[in-house]
Formats: sequence, C-alpha cells, structure tokens
Amino acid sequence: MNAVTLSQLSKIYEGGKKALDSVSITLKPGEVFGFLGPNGAGKTTAVKLLGGMLTPTGGSCQLFDINPSKEPEKAHAISGVVTEHAQMYDNLTGLQNLIFYGSVFGLATKESQKRGQTLLKQLELSDAADRKLSSYSTGMRQRLSLARALIHEPKILFLDEPTSGLDPESAQNVHAMIRTLAKEKGITVFLCTHQLRYAQEICTRYGLLSCGKLLAEGTLEEFRSRLCPETKVKLNAANIPDRLSLRRTGNQEYELTLSSKEEIPALVRRIVENGGNIYHVSAELPSLEDIYFALTAEGGKSVQMKEAHK
Amino acid sequence: MKQEMTAIITKDLKSIMSNRRMFFVLLFVPIVLTVFMPTVFLLTIHFAPGESGDLEKLLKMLPLSEQALPVNQVFPGLLLNYVLPVFFLIIPIMAATVMSASSFVGEREKRTLETLLYCPLSLKQIFRAKVLAAFLLSMFVSFSSFLVMLTVLEAEMYFIEGFFLLPDAKWLLIMLLVSPAVSLVAIIMIVRTSAKAQSMEDAQQGAVFLLLPVLFLVAGQFTGILLVNGWILFGIGVVCALAAALLFKRAIGNFRYELLLK
Repeated sequence: MNAVTLSQLSKIYEGGKKALDSVSITLKPGEVFGFLGPNGAGKTTAVKLLGGMLTPTGGSCQLFDINPSKEPEKAHAISGVVTEHAQMYDNLTGLQNLIFYGSVFGLATKESQKRGQTLLKQLELSDAADRKLSSYSTGMRQRLSLARALIHEPKILFLDEPTSGLDPESAQNVHAMIRTLAKEKGITVFLCTHQLRYAQEICTRYGLLSCGKLLAEGTLEEFRSRLCPETKVKLNAANIPDRLSLRRTGNQEYELTLSSKEEIPALVRRIVENGGNIYHVSAELPSLEDIYFALTAEGGKSVQMKEAHK
Repeated sequence: MKQEMTAIITKDLKSIMSNRRMFFVLLFVPIVLTVFMPTVFLLTIHFAPGESGDLEKLLKMLPLSEQALPVNQVFPGLLLNYVLPVFFLIIPIMAATVMSASSFVGEREKRTLETLLYCPLSLKQIFRAKVLAAFLLSMFVSFSSFLVMLTVLEAEMYFIEGFFLLPDAKWLLIMLLVSPAVSLVAIIMIVRTSAKAQSMEDAQQGAVFLLLPVLFLVAGQFTGILLVNGWILFGIGVVCALAAALLFKRAIGNFRYELLLK
C-alpha cells in the first residue's frame, strides 16, 4: 500500500486563487520525497491538505488508507508535521513542550519525557532542554519542531522547509537524521523545500512544482536521462593524439560529449593506449538545481514531456 | 475524559498562571470587588451619621422583613445579600474572558493553534477541553473570591459590630447556578468569536457586551430600582444555562480547521 497518495488533488481558495492544480503523486513507505518549488508554488497547501487542515476542491489524498479530510484525527495519529506556522509554547521549556505534545498524542508522561530527552540529544538540544522556548534561536526552534513531530513515532513525516533558518552544520545534522529515520525506521518523508542542494542530498525521488502544477516527478537519474541524455566529460590530460578529436578548452583541458557515462572507461583506455597521460577525468552531470531551472524555464514543455513519459 | 484532553486543560491552566499580566488581572479584580469595596461599604455604614434621617428613608423602601432588623444589622445584611451577589456575576465573566481569550485566540495569535490542531483529537474535543479549562479557572476564581470575601467580611463585622452576618439562601443559587452558567456563556461567546477575532483584545472586547446587563443589575441594586431576589436569580441562571447549552452546540457545529487557521 502506498504511504501517501495524491490523486488529481486541487485546491482553489476563496477568492479564486488556484493553489494546487490536479497534482497526482504516490509515495512508497520509507521514501524521502522532495516536493520542490519556489515560494507560493503550492507546497504548503499540499501539506495542509495532507494534514486535513484544508479540504480539497478537487481530487483526493490519502495517507495509507486514511482520507485526511474525512478522518483528520486518524491522519494526525500516524503523521508528524513541521511547518513554519506550527509553533510551540514560549512559556514552556523545550522538554516541557515535548512532554505536552507527547501527552496529546496519548503517551504517558514518563514515556514522553524519555522520548523527548532522546530526541533532544539527537538534535543537539540537550543543553537547552530546561530553557524556556522564548530564549531559543530560530534554528533551535526549528530543531525542536522536528523533535515534536517525531515524539509519537509517526509513519509519515511532512516537513515544510525544515532547515530554513538553520546554520549549515545544523542543517547537515537534520538531514542526516531524516535519512536515518527513513532508512532505519521506514518513515516516509514528504519534504517541501526550495533549497535544492539540500534536497539532492537526502531525497530519493522528487516532484517539481510551479504555480500549483506538477512539472515533473521522478528520481534524479530519470530527470537526467530525460532532460540531458548526453554526458559532458572534462579531461585534464597531456599528449592527446589529434585523431581522438577531443575539444581543447585550455592548457591540458579537454571536453567531449558521450551518450552515457558508461562510455568513460573505454575513452580512458583509448587515450592511454594512444600514448596520452590523464591527470583527471570528470563527468559533468546536471545537478537537481540545473534540472529544476531547466524545467521551470520551460514549464509547459516539461509537463508535456512528463505526460509523454507516462 | 481522554488523557489528551486533560493534558490540554492542565497546560492551559499552567500557562495562565505563569502569565504575570493575566494572573494580576485575575487576582486584582476579585480583591477589589470582594475585599476592598465591602470594607469601604462597612466602614461607611459604621461611621455614617445616624441623625440625618437619610438611612431611615432608605429603610422604608426595603422589603418589610428587612425593615424589622436594627439599622446596624440591616445595612451590612443588604450589602452581603443584595449588593455583593451581583459581583459574582462580574467575577466569573472576567475570569472566563481572560482565560478563554488567551487559550483560543492567544494560541492563534502565537501560532500554536495549528500545532495543536495536528494532534489526534477532534476539533470538538479540543474545543471542549479549552472550554472546560476556562470554566474550571473561572469557578476556582469565583469560589476562592467567595471564601475570601466571607472570611474578611465576617472578621470585619465581628470587630466593628461584634456579631457575624448570615449569608442567605440566594448565595447557593448564585454560586451553584448563576455564576457557572454566566461563566459558560462568556467562555463560549469568546471562543466562538475567536474564529474571527484577530487578537486577544478583539475577543475580549466582545465580552464587554456581556457585562452590560450585569452592570444594569448592579445599578439597579444600588439605586433600589430592582432588588434581585431568589426568583430573579433563578430565572437568570436558567436562561444563561440554556443559552450556554445552545451556544455550545452551535459553536461546535461552526468550527472548521480551515476557518480557524485563516
């Protein structure tokens, strides 16, 4: 059974703003899905629809076999949500907040305390456990929100910009934790972000969203093979024979295009056998960021591509 | 009641107690109404010149049963059994307003409501927990104020006049019916408006309209236009209890996640 299903999901707000337009995605348990798009693309709306906070105006969504708009309590019991709008209590300490949220998820106080302390340790907040939330920095609050969303050991985690406001070190730490949660505990992660570099580090699959429309969906490899089927290879080499017809771009710098990176070993062998000296070889693969910009620049074209791929 | 709801009630009560500004309001208003004002009245009655004849004129306006008593007993008795009961409509409204505005609109203002809505409780259960928290606090403030008032008043009477005052049966009606019912109406009205109110101040302003009829009662009591007897109190209590039940039902039906998070 799929962990998360969006089928033809649409949301039009009062006033006519179309925030989400017939989006269809399915997530398998244990997947880390990156839902990527600029601010206002409809990512938060999707999270709110999946959390039962909004009612779809078209289509439907499900968490396993639960429809969040019909049974929000059941959906909440198996999911954890981190969004910038979901804050905690300033007058309570970090640990008191976690104990409270543990209690509202039906955990006994002792169990909440135990889990809370473990999560605070994992998120490097143990020293601040007994400090009131009002003294927390933005990054600390964000990490505590993640701990809060995990206190009841959810099956699905919805993260809306979880690393915004975090320093690079803390962001790395949070990403490592998300990866571990998915790998070791089988938690499905629905990660909304516009930080594409971070997304590339942790996500197993992506959905690219723009103005409420899903431009493309797939793994990074699938995107690469669809959008840039050829591989650009850069070489740092000397004594390259002319008959190999490599394009020279600088002193000992060469460039050529191959149909796939599988052809690189053969290329290297050919150069060496022809008396060339190779110092460095690299395949220039488009990053998620390159793919994202390529797709958003040609939104309509990409949607067609996706449909053709199906 | 579910443990999850108890957690919300406990948290709400703790957070109001840890907020100095609100705690001060909850403490200050009842002290003024139940300690300071009765003391001023008692001293005024005790030291008022008896020969002016004004007090006798006032006595003639009272029910016959009250006129039979000596002057030094009539006026303190009037204070305890006619004037002070009305304050026990103001106190629960005030406490309920402060608490419910903080616990519902305050949560929305501080963006903690959305987090709470993501817990596995229905909106109805969250709403009930919040109403119950405000009601418990309101009743705690009312009953504590009553005990403090009675202790101070009896002590003062004993030292000034040398005897104790007897609270009449109206107090049972006030404390067990009217005060809880009025408090519930205030809470539900605040929580209902909280879906639209953008700030705690907005929500609290709504409660001012609830205080207006109470202020008329106070004015009536002081001017002698309307002396609140047991039947009037019983009527007020029943009407408020019915209104609370009706409002509660309607308010629950109107709540939607989307509306609350607007």
